[in-house]
Amino acid sequence: MMRIGPLEVERRPDPPVTWVLGVSLLAILAAMAASGVIFWSHGVAPLRAYGVIIRGTLFNVRALPEVVRFAIPLLLAGVGLVLAFRALFWNIGAEGQILAGATAATWVALFSPVPDPLKLPAMFLAGFLGGAAWGFLPALLKLRLAVNEVISTLMMNYIALYLVSWLVHGPWKGPQMRGFAFTDEFPPAAQIPLLAGTRIHWVTLLLGILLAGAVAFMLARTRLGFEIRVQGESLDAARYAGIDPTRTTLLVMLFGGGAAGLAGVGEVGGIHHRLLDPNQISLGLGYAAIIVAWLARGSPLAAVLTALFLGVVFTSGDVMKVALQMPARVTDVFNGLILFWLIGSERALYYRVRWVPRREAPAPLPVPDAGAGSGGPGDGE
Amino acid sequence: MRWMRTVALVALILLFAVAGPGLAQAKLKVGFIYVGPIGDYGWTHAHDQARRIAERTLPIETLYVESVPEAQVEPFIEKLIQQGARVVFTTSFGFMDGTLAMAKRYPNIIFGHASGFKRNRNMFTYMADFYQIYYLNGLMAGALTKSGKVGYVAAFPIPEVKRHLGAFALGIRAVNPGATVHVRWLFSWFDPAKAKEATEALIAEGADVFAFTEDSPTVIQVAAKKGLPSFSHYSPMQRFAPQHVISGQLVHWEAIYIDFLRKVLAGKYTADNLQNVDYWWLLAEKAVELGGEFGVPINPVWAPKLQAVKVSTQEFGTVSVHDLVMRRLAQMSKKPVAFDPFTGPIRDRKGVLRVPAGKTMTVLELTTMEWAAPGIVGPWPKEP
Amino acid sequence: MEEWVLNTIIRGLALGTPLLWAALGEVYAERSGVVNLGVEGMMILGAFSAFALAQTTGNPLLGLLLAAGAGAAGALLHAFVTITLRANQYVSGLALTMLGLGLSALLGRRWEGLPLLETLPEVSAFTYLSLLLAVALWFVLYHTRWGMVVRSAGEAPAAVDTLGVNVALVRYLAVVFGGAMAGVGGGFLSVAYRPSWTEGMTNGLGWIAIAIAIFASWDPLRAVAGAFLFGALFHLSFRLQTWVAPEPLQMMPFAFTILVLAATARRGGRARGAPEALGVPYVRGER
Repeated sequence: MMRIGPLEVERRPDPPVTWVLGVSLLAILAAMAASGVIFWSHGVAPLRAYGVIIRGTLFNVRALPEVVRFAIPLLLAGVGLVLAFRALFWNIGAEGQILAGATAATWVALFSPVPDPLKLPAMFLAGFLGGAAWGFLPALLKLRLAVNEVISTLMMNYIALYLVSWLVHGPWKGPQMRGFAFTDEFPPAAQIPLLAGTRIHWVTLLLGILLAGAVAFMLARTRLGFEIRVQGESLDAARYAGIDPTRTTLLVMLFGGGAAGLAGVGEVGGIHHRLLDPNQISLGLGYAAIIVAWLARGSPLAAVLTALFLGVVFTSGDVMKVALQMPARVTDVFNGLILFWLIGSERALYYRVRWVPRREAPAPLPVPDAGAGSGGPGDGE
Repeated sequence: MRWMRTVALVALILLFAVAGPGLAQAKLKVGFIYVGPIGDYGWTHAHDQARRIAERTLPIETLYVESVPEAQVEPFIEKLIQQGARVVFTTSFGFMDGTLAMAKRYPNIIFGHASGFKRNRNMFTYMADFYQIYYLNGLMAGALTKSGKVGYVAAFPIPEVKRHLGAFALGIRAVNPGATVHVRWLFSWFDPAKAKEATEALIAEGADVFAFTEDSPTVIQVAAKKGLPSFSHYSPMQRFAPQHVISGQLVHWEAIYIDFLRKVLAGKYTADNLQNVDYWWLLAEKAVELGGEFGVPINPVWAPKLQAVKVSTQEFGTVSVHDLVMRRLAQMSKKPVAFDPFTGPIRDRKGVLRVPAGKTMTVLELTTMEWAAPGIVGPWPKEP
Repeated sequence: MEEWVLNTIIRGLALGTPLLWAALGEVYAERSGVVNLGVEGMMILGAFSAFALAQTTGNPLLGLLLAAGAGAAGALLHAFVTITLRANQYVSGLALTMLGLGLSALLGRRWEGLPLLETLPEVSAFTYLSLLLAVALWFVLYHTRWGMVVRSAGEAPAAVDTLGVNVALVRYLAVVFGGAMAGVGGGFLSVAYRPSWTEGMTNGLGWIAIAIAIFASWDPLRAVAGAFLFGALFHLSFRLQTWVAPEPLQMMPFAFTILVLAATARRGGRARGAPEALGVPYVRGER
């Protein structure tokens, strides 16, 4: 415990939610203040900038659907990553898993004999399996051959990218697209229904929320969840408890890859309605999902909130580009600053600050001379 | 203590929310949506330069957004309209469906889509194409190659690039019937490392003149380091290797923007009569220009060499390639256009007749072209 | 045939050099126990600062010096956040990448589209310097006390702490060194490999450098092999387009990497695994 003047600072391992939110909010404000320099250097008054951004995101009803639109894939991939990080599997491959899911769904939509009423469920299933397969390989390589997962998942991202690129330029290029690299548009039965007037493909959204709940339940109440949590705390403890790390890691990655795959299904089935240039599909969401998962600090349900938060951050970037006519890359600086402040404030989460002003030590009471000792407060018992 | 902080926070947010004045709208506001960064020194850079010229020339006010992913075009159009834009240009094929959807949703706003093919009563299409210029570049390349191998570093195998490659190859063969065009695909519009390695690969294969489709002067620089000439692409890149750039392709999107916006300001084009408006603008409309630098169709450093090579033609007899280029340029630069590179009979590299004798390719055929012209060597995805 | 081999080697050296610098830096950082996924951000900051200074002063070497500083500055931020504040290293690296890409693009606006007047040749004394540097770094890592300290900070920080080594300082130095190396690697791109500046011009090479560091099992000599191999394969993916369809060729360097990793995994030899404490913030007194 430390004293800084009238403030008492002591460690607290289990901060309440309000403290977490409060500290995070302060961090974001600090980041915004820091980015004021950027605004100012582009000839935009910082206060005006903040006003425009806040009005354009939090207070703009029309901005909310866009926030949710981004939150959907971030939530799905994020939940998968929450689980992966819990098991200490550093999955950088969500981008590739999103693409794998999108590809599988496209095959179902355009080239499979599945009858129309079953198309959507089949797409989701295929997408989950595709993403799971993409996550399975790096997991297997790590467990059987000790191949570091950062590099294997990263390589799988590139492979997925070029695979999709090959498909849309070659065998799957749509005859209706006049030679451009897109597949034909999905038939209506293969398009995920949207909430009227928005681009929110609510089926995928629902799926994401259900998945978050299911994972939370699994972690808290099932044996597998217990095993994953123990493994995340200490591999040694897991081993002593007889937990097979292979099995838990594989299951976690199958699920994580599958969840990211579902995000991919949502993108091609709900937003694009076709397979196209891979960078346009994954949009860096796989990396953003890492942030979503980290901010959720291990809680799948919190991922719902952090996904929305990142949706707001993305939308604020868009507002900056249009309303303030700022160059596109300013969003990277903005997001990077926010992230750094949030990361940096993490330590502050585990401390408690209390206002405890020093009290004047009361004057010693006169004590009648009784035996030895000077007597006074705090002297002996 | 905690409640004080919360109150302060809420007050802060409220303060920001009411700050910020609105602007009165006087001039016509025009919005531009770009797919890449304006610093790309290629497609988006050219559109942005055109935007600035249009803003200086006409009584308009412009807004732009760069690096918009294709699926995000709708919310950005929405935002531009909220900012007061009454005309919106979207500059990438991938924006097509999104632009059309917004055109239907906002029937009073005028939309323009570059390089696409879907229109609406309030949405027109426009394109400035290079195929004539590539033909002229090909004439020069064919004359200057000593090894008979010309290199082309290509971005994506889509009709636009294939058409340019085709025109380039036809030009080369018109002057040097035995020469070949070697193509390498980058699968990216912007990737300096790939462009570099592809050029090096072509050099290793013996190519000694280069053209390319990539948004950076990498190919020019790589070729120049080995003392090899090349053609500039899209933006004036002659300055990157003043001794080694022969010519190139330049674009003037402002020709289209100014023409269209003038008609909008004059009331000739409204949000109701654009269904059949399609700008397919070429040399004659001044939407494109031959050269590696504005106003310099052929680099003077290379003019003597081009004058030294003679070819015999049906139309002009025996002329130097330099003269041939300038004559063809003149023929294509005024209406009625007297020459088209894609005039039949033309067979593709497999021998299949693609353009019958006496006919030229229609705009539809040009924009959906997948076949490879004779002389092209290398992989050709989706070859019919 | 000879021409093929010679050409491929030269191309491998050309692209491999910037990759090698960045990979060597990451090797040291990760050896000390800190993952830095911000290599892309540091490389691009280096590319921009090198170009800007080289263009202004006409001296590309000065540019490289500034690039080292820029990369080191970025790495310092990452070090502070991950070592002193003990935050998650993976996320901090991602934030650094974002910040680097964004800052370099914003600051670099007025340098776009300009050719560099004085450039460095791409395969030259600099390349050989890089090879020597790799050997020197290898020697330092395995045969000197300094190297031992760095490695122990990554393998068993608690043990080394009791011996009086300041683990935090060692990690700071290793990470900042890694940043400087990545900055020079990026500077090499804009000053020698492809002399000009465009935003985002590293285009993923920073991630490749991280992969090379891991591929090399955190050994500087293996990093040399990895970097040049990747450069060669990258070049071949264009050279071979005459005979093989381009799309599978694009995948080739990456698929090859995984295959090699899988194939060589079970062999013995030097320690293959990651440093034990990699990615874990060190807290004195805990565990």
